[in-house]
Amino acid sequence: MNRISKDDPRVTAYALGELEGDELALVAAAVQADAELQAVVAEIRTTAGALEQALAGEPAPEVAAKAPAKKPAKKPGRLLAFPQLYYVIGGAAAACFTFLVVLQEPSAKQEARAPMASLVQDKQYVEMSLNAPKEAEEEVEASADAISLPAPRASAVAAMPQKSDVRGLAKKRQAAPAVKGEWLACEPAPVAPAFNTEDYSYQRDNDFVAVATEPLSTFSIDVDTASYANVRRFLNEGQRPPRDAVRVEELVNYFPYRYAAPTGKDVPVAAHLEVAEAPWAPAHRLVRIGLKAREVAEASRPSANLVFLLDVSGSMEDANKLPLVKQSMQLLVNRLRPDDRVAIVTYAGASGLALPSTPVSRASEILGALDRLTSGGSTNGAMGIQLAYDIAKANFVAGGVNRVILCTDGDFNVGTTSEGELVRLIEEKAKGGTFLTVLGFGMGNYKDGTLEKLADKGNGNYGYVDSAAEARRLLVEQAGGTLVTVAKDVKVQVEFNPARVAAYRLVGYENRLLRKEDFANDKIDAGDMGSGHTVTALYEVVPVGEGDAATLSGPGVEPLKYQRPAGSTIAASGSPELLSVKVRYKEPAGQESRRLEFPLVDRGATWALASEDFKFAASVAAFGMVLRESPHRGTATLVEVRRWAADGMAADAGGYRQEFLGLVDRAATVMR
Amino acid sequence: METTFAQHQPALVRYATRLLGDSERARDVVQDTFVRLMAQPPVAVDGHVVEWLFTVCRRRTLDVLRKEGRMKRFEEGQLERVHAEEARPGRAMEAGETHAQLLRLIDRLPANQQEVIRLKFQNGFSYKEISRITELSVGNVGFLIHTAVQRLRQEWAAAGE
Repeated sequence: MNRISKDDPRVTAYALGELEGDELALVAAAVQADAELQAVVAEIRTTAGALEQALAGEPAPEVAAKAPAKKPAKKPGRLLAFPQLYYVIGGAAAACFTFLVVLQEPSAKQEARAPMASLVQDKQYVEMSLNAPKEAEEEVEASADAISLPAPRASAVAAMPQKSDVRGLAKKRQAAPAVKGEWLACEPAPVAPAFNTEDYSYQRDNDFVAVATEPLSTFSIDVDTASYANVRRFLNEGQRPPRDAVRVEELVNYFPYRYAAPTGKDVPVAAHLEVAEAPWAPAHRLVRIGLKAREVAEASRPSANLVFLLDVSGSMEDANKLPLVKQSMQLLVNRLRPDDRVAIVTYAGASGLALPSTPVSRASEILGALDRLTSGGSTNGAMGIQLAYDIAKANFVAGGVNRVILCTDGDFNVGTTSEGELVRLIEEKAKGGTFLTVLGFGMGNYKDGTLEKLADKGNGNYGYVDSAAEARRLLVEQAGGTLVTVAKDVKVQVEFNPARVAAYRLVGYENRLLRKEDFANDKIDAGDMGSGHTVTALYEVVPVGEGDAATLSGPGVEPLKYQRPAGSTIAASGSPELLSVKVRYKEPAGQESRRLEFPLVDRGATWALASEDFKFAASVAAFGMVLRESPHRGTATLVEVRRWAADGMAADAGGYRQEFLGLVDRAATVMR
Repeated sequence: METTFAQHQPALVRYATRLLGDSERARDVVQDTFVRLMAQPPVAVDGHVVEWLFTVCRRRTLDVLRKEGRMKRFEEGQLERVHAEEARPGRAMEAGETHAQLLRLIDRLPANQQEVIRLKFQNGFSYKEISRITELSVGNVGFLIHTAVQRLRQEWAAAGE
């Protein structure tokens, strides 16, 4: 092997994640073989992190020699004047342009009505529609036409606004209230100190929405199940789970449902709709949207290039962390095919390659390397992720499953890590075809919000592993779904018929809501479905004639004076349909979405007539609402939940529904 | 568009000010850059708008310098002259002492190294993007960053941090 000098510029490039292809493989191998180089790489990364931080806080350049008095101090007002002038000039140049509403991102602990904002914000600023006659450039040299840039890097740049001025999510949150047309330059606020405490983002329950006001409801699917395992962990420890740790849609989606797989060869997703009485509010209807992804047979799935990125920091020492991680990964390796490849990257104070990419035909080497892992040091997740993606890229399988599997308690606490930067990296890599699966472990130090965000951005999925049984469920029974994506950016838009529906409420999915215009916008990311995955969403619907004004406007909103009351007869479309479900998805490697539509007619089914899957899903949702103390839980109590669930116990493969009954009993004890 | 402007205008002004040594003209250049952006069909810049802005902003800046016959001065390392060697009062108060010290070290680098270091670590561009913005080869960018990082690393360590 060629020895590489520590003064080689490629070492710096490698440390900064700038190498690709053969060069990357060469340097990565050299670094792996040489402890001194590893130290140099770590040092360069530390310096890089310090540089980023220092430069982020660098004051604007001062031009002391020239008219120092004119130099404006950096103050919020400075930005106010300039855009106005700019608009005037801009208006002359552009025939028209569309303003985009700057969505508000919910502050972690404040309000949460604008969920997908973090996804949206990174992208939307590039979306402008300009129909301007092209101006002649007076200086050819500056002509922008001459600049053609390769597309693949586009996403990286598109996602970088927070790097320049608004660094990191914490600060972005500060800046978020900048409503359209109003510029606020916010001073960076200190990031909330990370105590050793579990961290959950605040979510407020979705309210009822009047169809007359907003006939469309749009959200991104979510196949994550982490919340259920986490809730189970709390209850089994005799604690009541924190409200915000309970994400209703993740509870509902934890369970398998028997939705039929799509029949058409070229359609990867099928929808199954059902409507019956809402058990917690019998005057209301409950609509179930069940999506089922195509199942890819294990033998026919493309071969996999996996990189296990394992947190071996001191905080992972507990029995339910690193030992469980090892066990989980061993389960997964045993499930893989000989032509798959696995590499292991560890991260603690210094990140390292514990095992170069190795074919599963040499499984004993992989299992041995897993066995030898020990914990120690503090966590620097960012560096580990960089290395893991480098390895994944070096072994990229075109058309295959390229995935980094991150196992951690999520406590990223050392070094250069800014959450925004990490998210940007992951998002960029996902665009390049390397997806991320996040598995959360442990307790007491568990950062739920961070992990979910990482998985969302990485076109990945997110699970919480609280036991070997859960590891088996995620990594053995559902290995296909965890590894093979069959449809990405799956979005659902429901259009309600105002002649039939007065108001509706999406149960759960609070942090997955999209704006209605995002549905057809292929630049807006959404959740992915793996092989055989099912996704269930529930709407509580107030039929026309049932709603009182207070319900329809939502709590705290007075009824509108001039609008037609939603309960009265609206010029009916004449359609018997209650609603129409539109689904958009992309092929895993595709860029353009395709659209499916499924109408639903309400035949007035009572609870008794509903399917078992429907009843079970409704009871799980009710369980979540009770745990969250949702204002919309109606008559639901744990006793009722248990009764409703007991009606839906058929087809309990794996015994998950039986376990749920036990958990409801457990909750009744804990919450008494 | 508003968002683009709000997000990148300050960074561009900062960048142009360093090159020009004059914040007023830097603002003019940046404004001109945005006007040009608006004349672009969205597809031409879609997805790499930040890189586009920096590239055009840099060319406009060089045009201004060239017109004023100041290219030579710029190439000689105008930045050293524009910037005081000493830390300016108040800086240590706004950033941590470590950061202030690093910034002082950066200010002592040659102008071309300063520029790529800032593009890389302040604006977050990749080697390739920096190469396109500055019209240097990727290898050249890599060498400049490597040299600068190495020097900063040593000086920083020597300074006892």
